Amino acid sequence: MNQLKAFIILAVTALTLWAPAAASAAADGEAKGKFDPKEIIFDHLGDGYGWEVPFDHHHRIPLPVMVWAGDGSFHCFSSARIDHHALYTEGDYTWTIPSEGPNKGKVTQLLADGTEVRPAFDMSITKNVCALWISVLVVLAVCMPVARWHKKHGFKAPRGFIGAVEELLEFVYDGVIKPTLGQDSRRFAPYLLTVFIFIFVMNLMGLMVIFPGGANLTGNIAVTLVLSLITFFCTNLFARKHYWKEIFWPDVPVWLKCPIPIMQIIELFGVLTKPASLTVRLFANMMGGHMIVIVLTLIIFIIADFGAAAAGLGATVSILFSIFMLLLDVLVSFIQAFVFTMLSTTFIAMAQERGHDEHHAHASAK
Amino acid sequence: MELFTPDFGLIFWMFVAFAVLFLLLWKFAWPAIMKGVDSRAELIDQGVLYAREAKEQLDYAKQQAEEFEAQARSRQADILREADRMKSQIIEEARSEAAREAKKEMDAAKVAIEQARKEAQQTFRDQVSAAALEIAGQVLGKQLSDTATQAKLVDNLLDKIESAD
Repeated sequence: MNQLKAFIILAVTALTLWAPAAASAAADGEAKGKFDPKEIIFDHLGDGYGWEVPFDHHHRIPLPVMVWAGDGSFHCFSSARIDHHALYTEGDYTWTIPSEGPNKGKVTQLLADGTEVRPAFDMSITKNVCALWISVLVVLAVCMPVARWHKKHGFKAPRGFIGAVEELLEFVYDGVIKPTLGQDSRRFAPYLLTVFIFIFVMNLMGLMVIFPGGANLTGNIAVTLVLSLITFFCTNLFARKHYWKEIFWPDVPVWLKCPIPIMQIIELFGVLTKPASLTVRLFANMMGGHMIVIVLTLIIFIIADFGAAAAGLGATVSILFSIFMLLLDVLVSFIQAFVFTMLSTTFIAMAQERGHDEHHAHASAK
Repeated sequence: MELFTPDFGLIFWMFVAFAVLFLLLWKFAWPAIMKGVDSRAELIDQGVLYAREAKEQLDYAKQQAEEFEAQARSRQADILREADRMKSQIIEEARSEAAREAKKEMDAAKVAIEQARKEAQQTFRDQVSAAALEIAGQVLGKQLSDTATQAKLVDNLLDKIESAD
């Protein structure tokens, strides 16, 4: 414990001494170009056609660009060809990534008359798509050993990392899915567990700053939208009679639902807001976390203008706060994955609810 | 803003990636894991139940054993008491038997002594009467010629002497 304390004190001191020099150097470097915090923030939060090489601001790992042009022709080329707004001509087609305008940052076709046209379909393996597949592989690498263990050893409890993963899964399965869904838990647990572990891994991968991580996946609205849409379909496609009855003919005074369907409108609105809230909750939380860390880091460069002493202080404070925020984000990663799973479970369970008559019939059939 | 407009390509890939992941896990991972976890939970429940039952049985057995022990102890005490009683009885019996035997011996001895005394008395009397007759015969001479009458006279005299004693 004392060693840890000494290490922390040493690290902070070193940071304070080193940071001014680094910060002023960085400020000098940035001074050549225009320093635009907003640009940097959205660049880091958004998607990209290449992936930054760790600790290198200029080079990017090339990823395949796959587009269908407006005339339906398919084009596939390396993102390195259009990196840094370069023009890439392939036969009659010229591609680039504009630095300005409505298509900023997107692969765009330059027509002969100079107009920019977005391709009909842009299926490029972008940074986020690549990170997505890496996350899939990580999830498989994490979950398969647990399954293998159970196939091999049956009921025995695993130790070490496999045990930790199993504990995590069991926490969700026994803590949320089983008590909420009851007898339906076997049907829906595979989906809910997949959602949980996938979101959790994506969240954590997003917190890693360099290559295999660093993509702001769950802070991207497309990703959360797909997840919540799947929950939405799971809820509504497998819903029981009682659920629809509650929406279209709830137990309220007749004047609330007969001539003007007030309750029906409210209920349907509720059905649609559930996936929306799921989408925005996860997206906003994760994006917010990323943004705070980036902003805290940028404080160094903003304060660096006021001289070396201010830069040193700013750097120390900012790094300490960044570390704190990143640690907090680890917690948030788990909480948000857990909350998404818990809410999905609740929504699905609500649709699985049996009416009183149905319940009795089911109980007597048992 | 770009952040809030979902990108079609990413939606597509997200869906595909999720579907692939879900199918793989659904097929290969979750059934085994859920079965393992469920069966373990059941095993633990059963184990607890079993342990509780075993403890109850053990407690019962312990109680039983204690009862047996107490019983055995009281029986032991009973037996010891009985043995003690029997011992003293035997001693008592032996003692009275010995006393009776000794009394018998004593009585026999008394009888024998009496007999001997009587015999000795008789002998002594005979001798005394003979001696007396001798003496009287020599003193009186022929006066007492009838011997039988004389003996009878002496005997009577001796009886008188004895009763005078």
